[in-house]
Amino acid sequence: MNRETTTYILLIGLVISLVALGWNLGSMRYLANHQFYEPDQPIEYSHRLHAGELLIDCQYCHYGAERSRYAGIPAASVCMNCHSFVTSSFGAFRAEDKKAAEENREMQPVISSELQKLYDAMALDAELNPDPNKKQTPIEWNRVHHLPDFAYFDHRPHVNAGVLCQTCHGSVETMERMRQEETLRMGWCVNCHREVNEIGVAGKPVSASTDCVACHL
Amino acid sequence: MEENKKYWKSFDTSGREGQLQPDSGGDQPVPDENSPVDNLNRRTFLKLAGFSVAGSAIVAGCSRAPMDNAVPYMNQPEEVIPGRGYTYASTCAACSARCGILVSNRDGRPVKIEGNPDHPISKGGLCPVGQASLLGVYDSKRLQGPQINGSAANWADVDSGINSKLNEIRANGGKVRVLSHTINSPSTQKAIDDFLSTFDDTQHVMYDALSCSAILDAHELTHQTRAMPHCDFAKAKNIVSFDADFLATWISPVEFTKAYTSGRSLENGAHNYSHHTQFEGRLSLTGSRADKRVRIKPAETGAVVSKLASLVAEYAGEHYRHQGGTLPVDIHLLEELAGKLWQGRGQSLVITGSQDVNVQTLCNYINHLCGNYGSTIHLDNPSLQCQGSDRDLLKMSDELESKSIDALVLLGVNPVYDLPNGDVIADGLKNTALVVSVGSHPDETSELAGFVCPEPHFLEAWNDYEPVNGLFSLGQPAIQQLGNQRHAIESLASWSGQANKAYDAIRSGWREQIFPHQSAHSSFDKFWNVTLHDGVSAVTMNPRQVSAFNRNAVKAPTAEPRAVENGFELQVIASSSMLNGEHGNNPFLHELPDPISKVVWDNYASLSPDAAERLGVEEGDVVNLNTGSKSIDLPAFIQPGQHNQVVAVAFGYGQSGSARFGDIGPEWIQGKPTVGDNGLIGTNVAPLMSLDDNGLAFTRSGVILTPTGRKHYIATTQRYDFISVPEKLRPPGAGVRAIIMETTLPDYQHDPSSGIHTPHHPDAQLWPDDHPYEGYHWAMAVDLNKCTGCSSCVVACQVENNIPVVGKDEVSRGRIMHWMRIDRYYAGPHQSLPQGDDVDVVHQPMFCQHCDNAPCETVCPVLATVHSSEGLNQQIYNRCVGTRYCSNNCPYKTRRFNFFDYKRDDDSQNLMLNPNVTVRSRGIMEKCSLCVHRIQEAKINAKGRGEPLKDGDIQPACQQTCPAGAIVFGDSNDPESEVSKLMHCPRAYRVLEEINVRPSVSYLSLVRNRDASGGGYHG
Repeated sequence: MNRETTTYILLIGLVISLVALGWNLGSMRYLANHQFYEPDQPIEYSHRLHAGELLIDCQYCHYGAERSRYAGIPAASVCMNCHSFVTSSFGAFRAEDKKAAEENREMQPVISSELQKLYDAMALDAELNPDPNKKQTPIEWNRVHHLPDFAYFDHRPHVNAGVLCQTCHGSVETMERMRQEETLRMGWCVNCHREVNEIGVAGKPVSASTDCVACHL
Repeated sequence: MEENKKYWKSFDTSGREGQLQPDSGGDQPVPDENSPVDNLNRRTFLKLAGFSVAGSAIVAGCSRAPMDNAVPYMNQPEEVIPGRGYTYASTCAACSARCGILVSNRDGRPVKIEGNPDHPISKGGLCPVGQASLLGVYDSKRLQGPQINGSAANWADVDSGINSKLNEIRANGGKVRVLSHTINSPSTQKAIDDFLSTFDDTQHVMYDALSCSAILDAHELTHQTRAMPHCDFAKAKNIVSFDADFLATWISPVEFTKAYTSGRSLENGAHNYSHHTQFEGRLSLTGSRADKRVRIKPAETGAVVSKLASLVAEYAGEHYRHQGGTLPVDIHLLEELAGKLWQGRGQSLVITGSQDVNVQTLCNYINHLCGNYGSTIHLDNPSLQCQGSDRDLLKMSDELESKSIDALVLLGVNPVYDLPNGDVIADGLKNTALVVSVGSHPDETSELAGFVCPEPHFLEAWNDYEPVNGLFSLGQPAIQQLGNQRHAIESLASWSGQANKAYDAIRSGWREQIFPHQSAHSSFDKFWNVTLHDGVSAVTMNPRQVSAFNRNAVKAPTAEPRAVENGFELQVIASSSMLNGEHGNNPFLHELPDPISKVVWDNYASLSPDAAERLGVEEGDVVNLNTGSKSIDLPAFIQPGQHNQVVAVAFGYGQSGSARFGDIGPEWIQGKPTVGDNGLIGTNVAPLMSLDDNGLAFTRSGVILTPTGRKHYIATTQRYDFISVPEKLRPPGAGVRAIIMETTLPDYQHDPSSGIHTPHHPDAQLWPDDHPYEGYHWAMAVDLNKCTGCSSCVVACQVENNIPVVGKDEVSRGRIMHWMRIDRYYAGPHQSLPQGDDVDVVHQPMFCQHCDNAPCETVCPVLATVHSSEGLNQQIYNRCVGTRYCSNNCPYKTRRFNFFDYKRDDDSQNLMLNPNVTVRSRGIMEKCSLCVHRIQEAKINAKGRGEPLKDGDIQPACQQTCPAGAIVFGDSNDPESEVSKLMHCPRAYRVLEEINVRPSVSYLSLVRNRDASGGGYHG
């Protein structure tokens, strides 16, 4: 074998590896740590708009957080509570209103392309009434926060103790697209559990268990 | 070594067959001298290139984004929150006792069945069969849709096929018969009646594979009403049972267990403690709990009952003379018993499981003389849990034999399998023009039916039941129907020409028949909704007309048949897991150890040690049972406490459906099949029974047993051995292993702590006392005096905690996975192996004792088992590496190791996995967690309500289901909690206290109602 060629190839490989390592060093993480995971979603839903700008309470949609282990992703019918009426952004309405006034005609319905996906999933017709000829197709969201199967996180005690959603989920109200902000690793959980036993949550003393069976059932 | 010796790796067969080729030969590419890179061929280049980029790949690829979809509801259902459990009140239909159940649902799937505490029959308890019946919903081997002549069809074709034949029969006035087990559903009964009313010559024949027909027939003779009396064991101070296994299999075991244990309360000096005498040939679960157990052959029952009747009649001043020769039992015993019965008039109960009508009438006579009718036995509001008639069955069987039936509808029955004349029935079915089988699984009978119309599982359908006159129990679906089955009510309705939905039929039936009899609710909707919520409604129905006792009906029992030399008396017994054989498709029940023999996955010929010695057989030797006309082969099992001339065999095994377990269990080189040589689980013994004018008989005299010389391995979870410490190994004062402690009632009344031996143990502590347990300290108390060994807790735990089924071979290797086991100890008067003499039996539920000084924790090298701040011994699966040190160091042997990935034999059964409990994989140790997920859930709920946790808020699965109320869980730091009180009561002890592991589980000693003995047996 030609030694020279071998050496060159290995050297080039080493350089590429080092460059790649340097590039990624900042985001080096443990296996199965999905911090900053930010997948595309089937509908470009904006938490910034709903939670940040419109100040809708987290638990309006994630109503399970207080009553169930899971906060849950809201059913499409929950979206329809508002989006039966709000079919597009305010700007698009204003534009259509203005245009209609200019052209001296009735205002046309404005439906944003993202909301159209919701209406299609709900099998609604153009008037937003159920269309018997269409079939409802569930929306397959991409799950962002994911714990291993042997960890049993329960939202209820955290929400009821007054832990803010942002403590674990980051400042969701600023996120255009949902992102996993924290590591969600066991050490991170346990640190908080130890800390709050000293300092409390929202000024109230709490007893956060550090028993294994608090999470591993 | 020779220098020129050549080495080669393998035979090269490419073109040079059989020739050995040295390493260099073969089809290696010829080096290309003109290659630009010398010797660097494509493969080497790729290797190098791959290596070079591997480094960057490691950095870039260490975190794979999880691609997991979350699919929410489209339309939010009312009251349903994903991840939150909710329960439906319903009624168990696993047997005809109809216990009330609460079905726990998670996200649209039932995941657990619990007893309904508000139900008057079961009062919160549930038997192992009920617990396991949940599996049936997810059984993919159920009949999924209708069939015509064995091939799949649609309902329209089935209905038109059946209706055209029925119309022909209607026109010709042909014979139509409906065969079913006991039907105590008013709506199903109405559907059957409506169906049959459209024909001229009809009969609805009810039979029970485990027939109690003689009881009903006897009451027809003595009280002119063919009814099953409703027995109240709670009020009975003297219980005399002649081979009625009422705590395990007889009529309504959960109800009877509840009542029986409440009649044996030790509170207030135990003055009302009942006395239980059991006469039997085999060792039944009920017999194992008896205060006095007398071994008699089933054929001798008549003579003993007759003598007892004559003695009681003497007290009553009536004339009844026992005719007959020698008695198999001590006459003084019967005299004493008669005296007790007479003294406690109106507070006793004499029952028999005999199928001899004369024995049953005598039994009625004794109860009549003792004034039990109206106090402990109710005939005006009788039980409807067993209504079968053997006379009707025999008549129908004759009709079938003579080919005179034109149409036969089989409602959930399998007569080809469960009747002694199954072959005759099979022939008859082949010659019947229209045979419709309505059932859940393909079985021996449905194979022969022209039309198969499957029914949904009871958790998928609306149902109603009337287990006791006036008590109406509602069954509601807990899941949408998984297959294309149809409710029997709907099937019958569409064949009567008035298609109707089961729900509408039940509702309208209730509106017309039941609602008018109640006064609590003014509107039907309100009544219906309340009943639906509670699951049950008690209504005052018209009581049955009961005539005065007819003394003339009492006849001396038929003479005992002459015993054939060397002949045994065969007794076909009901197994507490298989019952009538309906549940042969359920692996949980097959793997549930028999409460007495601890055998799994089999039935066997049970012989006393003495009988086995006479025959020269050992456990597992296959013996041939020959009745003269029929014979079958069964492995022998040696059962202490059994009568020496009785061979007992469990009914309900060897169904064709059990062939599905052929490959259950892990596949590996030493694995042995779970099924026997016949490809089935066990052997069907129905052919050895008999059906004649005397009804369905489960006993038969003169059965010849011959060893065949073959072997069949039997898997048991417990064998006999001593539990006392050998003398030379004894530490001072520890001659008796402190495992089982018992006393007698007089001793207990004298000194409540009698029988408790607190062993000497060193006070020295190896560990620093730095675990204060400031909040809760979870603990459990198990009352051995209440536990009947029914094993309901074992199955409840299995369902709740996702415990796998491992198969017979793994069980025989000691790898059963049950977290909760029931240890059965025999005790005899001699310190020798019990040789078939009268043995005492103790049942001891055994599970992780959650020791404060847990020996398992100190040896775990990876800290996978550690103590919680609430006194729980935690097992952390994701940390466990499977060294098994903990299991070796556990003195109670309660830890279970996953030697394999024990998969379900049926993938769809994974749907019933409890989402709150981790599913363990191979190489992981596991054990009882005291249902820690329920503890967490209750704590979280209490916190959410802002209230402290109340005693009783947490019930582990075993406690919840226990029909005897033997298990109590709670906080031992709370002196007012029930468990605290039990732990500190005089009867409390802890198992193996001398080793100072300080278990959190306390046991309460057993109290037998017999003469003071100065202490019971130990070990």
